Amino acid sequence: MSLLELRHVCKRRSCGGRKVVVLDDATLRIDAGELVAVWGLRGSGRTTLLRLAAGIDAPDSGTVLFAGRDLLKHGEEILGREIGYCQKSFRAGAGRAAIDEVIVGLLVKGAAPAEARARAREALERVGGERVGARRISELDSGERVRLAIAHALSLQPRLLVIDEPVAGVDLRERDEVLLLLRSLADEGVAILMTVGDLTGLSGADQSLTIGDGELCGSPRRGLEPVADLSLRRQASV
Amino acid sequence: MQSSVNWALLGLIIERPSYAYALAQRFERTYGDALSLSSVSHAYAALGTLKDRGLIEELPGTRTGRQPKPHYRATARGLEDYHAWLIGQVAEERKRQKVFLLQLTALTRDPEQAMKIVEDYEQACLGETCTTLIATGDEDAPDGALALQARLIAEEKRLAVGAKIAWARYARSELKALANGRAGGLAGERAPNQ
Repeated sequence: MSLLELRHVCKRRSCGGRKVVVLDDATLRIDAGELVAVWGLRGSGRTTLLRLAAGIDAPDSGTVLFAGRDLLKHGEEILGREIGYCQKSFRAGAGRAAIDEVIVGLLVKGAAPAEARARAREALERVGGERVGARRISELDSGERVRLAIAHALSLQPRLLVIDEPVAGVDLRERDEVLLLLRSLADEGVAILMTVGDLTGLSGADQSLTIGDGELCGSPRRGLEPVADLSLRRQASV
Repeated sequence: MQSSVNWALLGLIIERPSYAYALAQRFERTYGDALSLSSVSHAYAALGTLKDRGLIEELPGTRTGRQPKPHYRATARGLEDYHAWLIGQVAEERKRQKVFLLQLTALTRDPEQAMKIVEDYEQACLGETCTTLIATGDEDAPDGALALQARLIAEEKRLAVGAKIAWARYARSELKALANGRAGGLAGERAPNQ
């Protein structure tokens, strides 16, 4: 059983008074420890895919399963615990210390203050953001904000990390460090689903996918399936 | 001079003057399965060609002892020609890609078939991204040049494969429009008979 599974998922959205197909019969499987990267143009449905995978939005048809459980029914208990959805915007707390952002997230989930502080520090260390913690969020650059967002999600010890464009606006050297960080988290067993706006961000993924015109197309799963057995390609309707 | 092996050997000599056997070993280490020498004697023959063309010369004083190992270095002309050959590869790469596209467009009479091939092409490119590891390394380290080389190769591959994926997306949308147009045209032709 895969950790996350999208089965024949369809999703439409309104655009200028008409319905646009964002995902049409999309199928995707992600196992523990897999890094899955999705590239698509702006408006192609990248974020919609992530929101469906995290259980934030519901599909029009099809099923999204997390560890065999339907996210439509169990989403509330899974999101924020077993699924970490990285938010890179910290508008409400832009003036506060970065570590507080992580601590507050843990307190909301019921952690004791001392435990929350320790776990926040540990999560920041894990993402190489030790020096980020004491600084104000408004002072952080793009790469540091991404690390903070990942630390925030990681502090809840999720099994799946969902992150929208982790390397957008990040300079080239920092880009590779962020990608390597995500790769290392996957190697430790956390499944990661991320979108990228730049095709170079697909490097090193276990599955590389493209999204556009409602289609989700993908690479063979590394070392698991030959090209001809791909489960990601649309069915005969294409 | 057309031989890629000869040019690659010249590049190794430009990087560091050396003798035939050592060059053959460096060749294997550097180029791996990307380019191969048929045997060590292939290296000797290539060095003879490079020398005859004035692209390399023997380092004075290295043909000594019972088993002389003449070392070779690049001449100014060798460096100049190597530079020109590298830049010429841009056009060669374009030619190879053009041949592929011309072969593909032979299938545009059957856009469904062409679309299937482009889909597989896109999928193969996506598979390539999975095997493109993110290169790391500090150029201040003792093997800094190698680390830099690894990063340059990885980045070029990422960009090149990325461009192919973007092209495949574009080609598919064009072929889809062509297929839909034909289907529409056929439906239109059939309509009066229905």
